[in-house]
Amino acid sequence: MIQVENIRKTYARAGGDNVEALKSISFDISPGEFVAVRGSSGSGKSTLLNILGCLDSPSSGSYHLDGEDVARYSDKQLSRIRNAKIGFIFQTFNLLPRTTALENVEIPLVYFDGHVDRRRALATLQRVGLESRARHYASELSGGEQQRVAIARALINSPVLILADEPTGNLDFKAGQEVMTLLEELHHDGRTILLVTHDDAVAAYASRELRLQDGKILSSQTVSGVPLPPAIGGRP
Amino acid sequence: MKKVRLVRQAALALMRYRMRTILMMLGVVVGIASLAILTSIGEATKRETIERFKNMIGTFDTIMVRPGGGRSRGMPTLVNVPPTLRFEDAKAITELPGIKSIAEMQSAFDIDIKYRGKAASPAVFGVSANWLRLRSDEVADGEFFTQDQNTSLARVAVIGTDVRSALFPEQDSLGKTIRIAEVPFQVIGILKARGAGPAGGSLDNVILIPVNTASRRLFNRDYLTMVIAQLKDPVQSDAATNRVAGLLRQRHHIQPPGLDDFAITNPAATMARVTQARSTLAKILTGVAIMVLLIGGIVIMSLMSIAVSERRREIGVRRSVGASRGDVVFQFLLEAVSVAFVGGLAGVLIGLGGMQIAARLEKLAPVLVWQPFASAILLSVVIGIVFGIYPAWKASRVDPIQALRS
Repeated sequence: MIQVENIRKTYARAGGDNVEALKSISFDISPGEFVAVRGSSGSGKSTLLNILGCLDSPSSGSYHLDGEDVARYSDKQLSRIRNAKIGFIFQTFNLLPRTTALENVEIPLVYFDGHVDRRRALATLQRVGLESRARHYASELSGGEQQRVAIARALINSPVLILADEPTGNLDFKAGQEVMTLLEELHHDGRTILLVTHDDAVAAYASRELRLQDGKILSSQTVSGVPLPPAIGGRP
Repeated sequence: MKKVRLVRQAALALMRYRMRTILMMLGVVVGIASLAILTSIGEATKRETIERFKNMIGTFDTIMVRPGGGRSRGMPTLVNVPPTLRFEDAKAITELPGIKSIAEMQSAFDIDIKYRGKAASPAVFGVSANWLRLRSDEVADGEFFTQDQNTSLARVAVIGTDVRSALFPEQDSLGKTIRIAEVPFQVIGILKARGAGPAGGSLDNVILIPVNTASRRLFNRDYLTMVIAQLKDPVQSDAATNRVAGLLRQRHHIQPPGLDDFAITNPAATMARVTQARSTLAKILTGVAIMVLLIGGIVIMSLMSIAVSERRREIGVRRSVGASRGDVVFQFLLEAVSVAFVGGLAGVLIGLGGMQIAARLEKLAPVLVWQPFASAILLSVVIGIVFGIYPAWKASRVDPIQALRS
């Protein structure tokens, strides 16, 4: 599903010196895996998420997603990949204001090249249990409901990879649990999920954990605590 | 298909931020409305001027020669005629190449006309028999005199409607004998009313009699007030003017630096000057309206730029679900163009209404000229594109990651 090899990302900073956010990272993710990415702020996990989400390109290295080497793709090609293969879930939900739940879910369909069936949006809302809220504006929904609408939006184009960035960070315990249950169900349906979190309880839903520190992978281990062999886990 | 969906997204966004959309439109509405009104008034005024001019001169395929010289432009003076333009000059002009025919004219303004105790003092014009054709005049009742009547010095008269109302308020005038400076003339025709000339005075307070009759029986003059020469080719009016001038200089023995003792009016050239002067004024007014329109464009640009900052999160979402930079540019540019287009449309509608009011106030015929309105709408679309490009570009440069994390 995902093969990342020797990915580096260097940012030019004002003043001339460069910052290396990612220092030669390599790892694989198999189809259907549920992986948690953890690390303190500044560890490079945001940069990694942006590259995996095709919102940014690595400075060097290769990134294969679902059989395509996307590391050198143009903006247009990356947009197509984001649309067809990736579903994003954010900490702040990021629903459009003054827009109904249904219209929010439909947005990825706008950018799909070719004919789309708008009935799919309602079916996807049904999947997250919110079909009764389809005509409600985003501001009329609770936080947990908003996040479920966002999940429906991420699911509508049946992506091969779901990227969740602190999906429970802005939710109370109960709503957070609902969202995690939903992600777990998606995992059981066979979807590949990559989750960035600080929260141990949330990370516990994942079957594998990637720890980042200083732009490198510190460890890669299954949640049972047994470290994976370096061949799978990549260089520390 | 995708483009259609993007259009819908742009429309939804404009409706979502209704207040801002209306504010963005305002400048364009005002600019386009004033532009449409000003250009339409300019156009209507121009047409009105041409109409009045035509009314006075009759046709544009003629040039007019009058004695006096000095002044070289403007309309001929008909009073105090210098005795320099003679019947023989007129005959010589007829023989020039490019001249189709000529009409001679003598005039007097101080002659009393009487009919049974009623009196009038219209302009008395002695003219050739072909006068009607050269002036695009018409006889409403009765008939005009013939060349034979001119040659035989017949005492016949064709009167204008003002004269008829003065002398014959309640009865038929045809066949009656009126006295022009105590000489009896028979009324054989009534001219069609022409209304006001360019200066506003009536063109109907006039009596036409054969020019030879006027010369021998009334005025006792052998010089002319004016010679009208009809051209074979109206486009060649400048060449004909030069030819006539050359001929008259030769006949009158005028050598440079001597001044001409005649003046030639070329209505086609004068008309061109008049309409050009009008359009210069129109250009200034149009310039002002375009300034307003530019300000409208700047309003769109600044409000749109603010909107981009406020909608960073939306842009981030769109990018994350598959919008390319081009898609973002397209949507925001489309929003700007739609605002400008709808504003332009509203401006045109307001302009149409304003045009009706202005036409009534200015007593112009409410001319509906569609070109200014069509170009106004086109212009508003151009404004939308020009002033939408910067905010659209700015929108495409929003960093989705930062926008989504804020």
